[in-house]
Amino acid sequence: MIKVMRHHRSHSHGTASIDFYACQSGLRHWNGPYKVFSSLFILVLCLGLDHPWISVFVILTIGTVNLFGNRISFLNYFELLKMPFAFLLLGSAAVAIGISKQMVGQVFFSLGGWNFYVTKEGMLQSMELFLKSMAAVSSLYLLALSTPASELVSVLRSIHMPKVLAELMNMVYRFIFILFEVQREMRIAAASRLGDVDFKTSCCTFGQIGGNLLILALKKANTYYDAMVSRGYEGELLFWEEEKPIEFWQYLLLAGYFAVLVLARFCLLSES
Amino acid sequence: MKNEILKIQCLTFEYQPGHPVLEDISLSISQGEKIAVMGSNGAGKSTFFLHLNGVLFPKTGKIYYRGEQIKGKNIKELRRNVGFVFQDADNQMIASTVQAEVAFGPMNLKLPREEVKIRVEQALSYMDLDTYRERPPHYLSGGEKKRVSIADIIAMKSEVILFDEPTAALDPVSAGVLEQVLEDLSREEKTLLVSTHDVDFAYRWADRIVIFHQGKILADGNAMEVFLDGDLLRQAHLKKPEMLIVYETLLEQGLIREGSYPRQAVALEDAMKQLV
Repeated sequence: MIKVMRHHRSHSHGTASIDFYACQSGLRHWNGPYKVFSSLFILVLCLGLDHPWISVFVILTIGTVNLFGNRISFLNYFELLKMPFAFLLLGSAAVAIGISKQMVGQVFFSLGGWNFYVTKEGMLQSMELFLKSMAAVSSLYLLALSTPASELVSVLRSIHMPKVLAELMNMVYRFIFILFEVQREMRIAAASRLGDVDFKTSCCTFGQIGGNLLILALKKANTYYDAMVSRGYEGELLFWEEEKPIEFWQYLLLAGYFAVLVLARFCLLSES
Repeated sequence: MKNEILKIQCLTFEYQPGHPVLEDISLSISQGEKIAVMGSNGAGKSTFFLHLNGVLFPKTGKIYYRGEQIKGKNIKELRRNVGFVFQDADNQMIASTVQAEVAFGPMNLKLPREEVKIRVEQALSYMDLDTYRERPPHYLSGGEKKRVSIADIIAMKSEVILFDEPTAALDPVSAGVLEQVLEDLSREEKTLLVSTHDVDFAYRWADRIVIFHQGKILADGNAMEVFLDGDLLRQAHLKKPEMLIVYETLLEQGLIREGSYPRQAVALEDAMKQLV
């Protein structure tokens, strides 16, 4: 009797990196410089307009774009936001809490004559800071989740970054995956022979893998060079870059978003 | 006789002085030939291919491409017209999307943008990779990577294509696809050299078999000449193809036409039918 196992072909390749999301993003085909500019522009707007409601608006709208435009599931997006969220929460807490020898504000904890206190202004200020930072993080995620690293490099190249640096970044990007893969294989091979049986052996194995990686990298570099020469490489890495024209409505979209933010700011200003 | 496309005369090469990897290799290759290059590990097959492709330069000896001797100056001519599909596809890929990867060769040929685009399209659809174009190569499976590495060379429109152990590490379906591609390419009059350890594949596919042994050419002939020579096979660490053994067994039983030497399963059926 033959047992046939059927598995769903999963697309998770070990680590589902931000780069992987960027490759499947719905905004992948948008013009690269446009994406870089709009993300940074929105970031600057958040900081410049400096109002908690603006920040909330940006977090929500850009979040929606990330979910539906960049086609990230809500859970994955939440996972991505978790780390900056925790980091910013701690940071804002540090802003909100003051230490003084005098009795000021709402003291909630005292230690050897030092009072830890919060004030209403401090709380509000840290809240605003937190929201502003989260909005900034969202708009940077808009960039990271829609633009693969190679496209970023080509944007950098188009704003006249030195060619050597751009080529280096491209190579590093390609090789980092190969290096990870090789390292992973060696680690598994070592583990299968009890290379991680105790702490001392683990350290030893780690060192040996590191050394092997260096030698392998040198060998691989040679093979790569041969392969490149065999396809006519003559000292300059020429990569195909897709031409992605900016549509008129995309200009309008950005201008519209800008107008909404600025208008909202004025309304909020006149209200207060 | 067909046009001679590549000629190698008394080629010798060594990585370290005193340890020749290739010794006194002479070979003449005609357009449209299907050659299997065989021999044990370390026999010098890959090094030989790197010479044909102009990556390595012979220490002594000459290489001619279409009657013209290859020297330092026109070595680019060799790289342009001879393509090399490396054994490990990962070692060949440098760009960060499949499309850019396939375009790398044509870009290096300094072709105009329009022409590059056309060639990439053609190569991608030839290898059935249209849906993969935006994907980065490191998110592909082994078989897909192999197809991309072949598309790389097809886009360069090389006349001679060298395959270094193409079926190694491929699943049977991918290997089947590869054989189909080889068949299609030779129908287009491409000259193909495939290095392989797979005697069954070589017997099935190749018109001519060249056997390397310790840096020298041990044998060069058609499949029958090579695979019926037991001593030769033993010396070169090769085995008799299964299909040939089947033929010999059937012949003993008088079930197959003598001298038919079927090379594919389909031909076997025919050879047995014609007897009746």
